[in-house]
Amino acid sequence: MTKLAQWLWALALLGSAWAALTMGALGLELPSPCREILWPLPAYLLVSAGCYALGTVGYRVATFHDCEDAARELQSQIQEARADLTRRGLRF
Amino acid sequence: ALPFLQATGTDQVVGLGLVAVSLIIFTYYTAWVILLPFIDSEHVIHKFFLPRAYAVAIPLAAGLLLLLCVGLFITYIMLKKQRVTKKAQ
Repeated sequence: MTKLAQWLWALALLGSAWAALTMGALGLELPSPCREILWPLPAYLLVSAGCYALGTVGYRVATFHDCEDAARELQSQIQEARADLTRRGLRF
Repeated sequence: ALPFLQATGTDQVVGLGLVAVSLIIFTYYTAWVILLPFIDSEHVIHKFFLPRAYAVAIPLAAGLLLLLCVGLFITYIMLKKQRVTKKAQ
């Protein structure tokens, strides 16, 4: 089974479980706070996943270190390439 | 080279800003959806939170708005491309 099929299968399973519980199709008498939490649960999970993604991106942006050595090496390689190409006749 | 170089100034500010925003949203939303049902309905804390229906309505509206913006952007790019190819013919 492909990854997409797995994800869709899991989503369908969890979705139907949530729907069955929210609409009372299983005939369970859940306590009132539990029912109050249950029906916004998909929205809550989506918003939490979004917050996690945003926070991780922000954190990685803030802690990304400069790579001085790599920058210098890249610059020297660019100089080399420019010299080589001008020698072969390419005009910048 | 120094072993622990800092990310440049703006990067740090933007990054930490994003982290702060995501934490604020997560904390408020968690309190709203998960904690509030367990607190007595007479408690003063309920004044800081909108009616419960908005907990689903606002993210839904934001998601639809995002989809709309993405769709408009794609339409704009496609129209621009069509105009360029028509001018070249």
